[in-house]
Amino acid sequence: MDKIFANRWLRLAALAVFAVLLIVAPLVSSRFINYQLSMIAVFAVALLGLNIVMGYTGQVSLGQSAFLGLGAYIAAYGVRNEWNLVLVLLLCAIIPAAVGMLVALAAARLRGLALAMITIALPIIGIPLARRFSEFTGGSQGTTVSFLGAPDWSGLANDQWQYYVVLTIAVVAFVLARNLVRGRVGRAFAIVKENESVALAMGVSPYRYKVLAFTISSLLGGVAGFMYLAIVQFTSPETMNFFTSINLVAAMVIGGSASIVGTILGAIYYVLVPVVAGQVNSSRTALISGAILLAVLFLLPRGLVSLPRRMSLLIGGTRRRGASPRDDQNSPDGASTADPGTPETPTAHEERQAR
Amino acid sequence: MMNFQKTTRLSGAVAIAGIAALLISGCTRDAGGTGNGGGAGGGTEASPGITDDSLSLGISSPLSGPTAGPGSCTVAGLYTYLEAKNADGGFEFGDGKTRSVDLTYLDDAYDPAKAVSNFRQLVNEEVFAYVGALGTPTNAAIMPIADEEEVPQVLLITGATAFSEDQAANPWTYGLLPTYYDEGFAFGELLAGAGEPVTVATLAQNDDFGEDYLAGFEAAIEGSDVEVVGSATYEPSDTTLNPQVTELAATQADALLSAVSVTPLQVGVLTRAQSVGWLPRVFLPSNTSTPGTIIEPGAGGAYPALYSTSLTKTPVSPAVAEDEDVIAYNEAFKQYGSTITTTYTPHCVWSYIEGAILEEAFKGMEEPTRDSFMEALKSIQGFEAPLLLDGITVDTTRDDQPAIDGIELVQFNGTGYAPVESY
Repeated sequence: MDKIFANRWLRLAALAVFAVLLIVAPLVSSRFINYQLSMIAVFAVALLGLNIVMGYTGQVSLGQSAFLGLGAYIAAYGVRNEWNLVLVLLLCAIIPAAVGMLVALAAARLRGLALAMITIALPIIGIPLARRFSEFTGGSQGTTVSFLGAPDWSGLANDQWQYYVVLTIAVVAFVLARNLVRGRVGRAFAIVKENESVALAMGVSPYRYKVLAFTISSLLGGVAGFMYLAIVQFTSPETMNFFTSINLVAAMVIGGSASIVGTILGAIYYVLVPVVAGQVNSSRTALISGAILLAVLFLLPRGLVSLPRRMSLLIGGTRRRGASPRDDQNSPDGASTADPGTPETPTAHEERQAR
Repeated sequence: MMNFQKTTRLSGAVAIAGIAALLISGCTRDAGGTGNGGGAGGGTEASPGITDDSLSLGISSPLSGPTAGPGSCTVAGLYTYLEAKNADGGFEFGDGKTRSVDLTYLDDAYDPAKAVSNFRQLVNEEVFAYVGALGTPTNAAIMPIADEEEVPQVLLITGATAFSEDQAANPWTYGLLPTYYDEGFAFGELLAGAGEPVTVATLAQNDDFGEDYLAGFEAAIEGSDVEVVGSATYEPSDTTLNPQVTELAATQADALLSAVSVTPLQVGVLTRAQSVGWLPRVFLPSNTSTPGTIIEPGAGGAYPALYSTSLTKTPVSPAVAEDEDVIAYNEAFKQYGSTITTTYTPHCVWSYIEGAILEEAFKGMEEPTRDSFMEALKSIQGFEAPLLLDGITVDTTRDDQPAIDGIELVQFNGTGYAPVESY
């Protein structure tokens, strides 16, 4: 018990250090760094939505960029018409959520690849729509806005203020999402992911929870769109680009499916890898990004979030090899029992326990 | 045991995130520091990125993804010009110093968010100016930031009007190329001057790019004997334009304005129209008119005339192989530009010309500051840059037009393009 307590303190201390870093970082960094940090927050929220529908509920979604773009367009429209920003943020949450729910009401009847196909349609339809309705969207040239400047009393530069705003939204989104996936709804998501028949037998309607997961996912996508506009101050049909969706899915898997920390790592990956690749060789960014992607998937098949465990397994591998087989089967935590010599193939049950 | 595992994992992940954050900030601070060291060497109150013997430029263009071809060329042509000149002793500046000019290029994959990221990175690394980037949305996203940071974002390779039409509002942003509107206008003028009634069918991309072509065309034919007898639009994501072409063919119009910007679709238009027995005079936009990739696959020889617009000589065309500028370009490109791309698009030549315009601006730059640079850049008139066609010059003094003045309507002559005499 003492040990658990001590570790909890350790965890709190680590979180506190992390929080202090997040708060102090923009004050001492250049605008470029602040932009990167802010973009990490933006895509962390978009990835969080994706993770809820894909990681936690096990449904494929390739349409997240459409909701990101929708949120950004709603925010741009609201800002241009000088609506209250809180109202704009709410609309950026509600409208994409409603659209997401509408789509999901039809799409959630399907499974697997069929569902993926439906969600692919969203960015594919979204881009021509955004081009066509140019009075709302600014057409293919996109729309530039200028808002969320730092108020005078804060003494901050615009980029610092914008960073704090998106960070606050991101933290709220993460706290809410964490509570959601750890509570009753999260357990329902998990059982839907694992086996829909079992879910039905337990009185959990897979259809309803899939729709719910999609709705939350689109809501977070829309909120991320608002944050995107706050940082980039520009949106165009390119924001909805289908490749953004694909890259988001890749980043989610790389960060760690069904993991809150993994979501943040995925966002860091999503934002920083192109920058790093550009530093190495600007003409070969796609190639370098691909190589990094493959390396991560080979070395850490369960995502970056499994890196500490992977390392501790490698370091402590010889010691653990002596553990009794009975432990291996019955331990509630899949992490403590995986043999470093065998490929990791955890069941969804273990995975859920591990997070 | 379980709790222990959970905790180590979480704190481990947090630690990694923290280390990552530290690493990034650490790395870039270093980069910023070096930039500072470089900038400090300049004369009195020099802008960042310029010293007594060097100047740094930055560009972010799509070097990967669907637009990678043109994007790479916007870097390669400029790089070719700069490196060739550097090897030749460097650029002469208006303040009497000679500097070598280096170019930092980054990939934005045509994504506005990445373009902004790259722009901020380049500013952070203290480039003197941001030049020649390709892409309308990417440059539009950067424009307000360039204004805020007071960093020149100039000679942009895009046909959109937005970057040059209001230079008082966006004093740090400036375009290079004549607009799509101008292209449409040039074709309209040709038809309007035909001296006989002409019927036209139009096919355009269903967005503001297509509208720009049509707007220019319609402005030129207003009040003339030219009549639009059919019009159709398409989406860039369409896989075939056969329905549109068939519909337009029913009009049997004398001319077709085919403002199609997607290469395979433009080829499809040429093959389809002749297969349904419609042989109009066809106008092709400058970015989809290359003989090798459009006209030959589309069997364009069947049409009575194929028009396009052009600004420059085409260095890959044998017709101009003996031209002095073309020889210089080809030699330099082989040595420098080919390390970036080997596929030719007109963007290679445009960005090469951009290098020449920069050189002209540097000559007029009396102080090592961005203000002085902008002033010098905006006072070039009647400059005949290498590779520009006769009659087309650089005029940066017009306050609502991009740098290159004039556009030439050209006609396909079986191997390449030649100036149009009359309809």
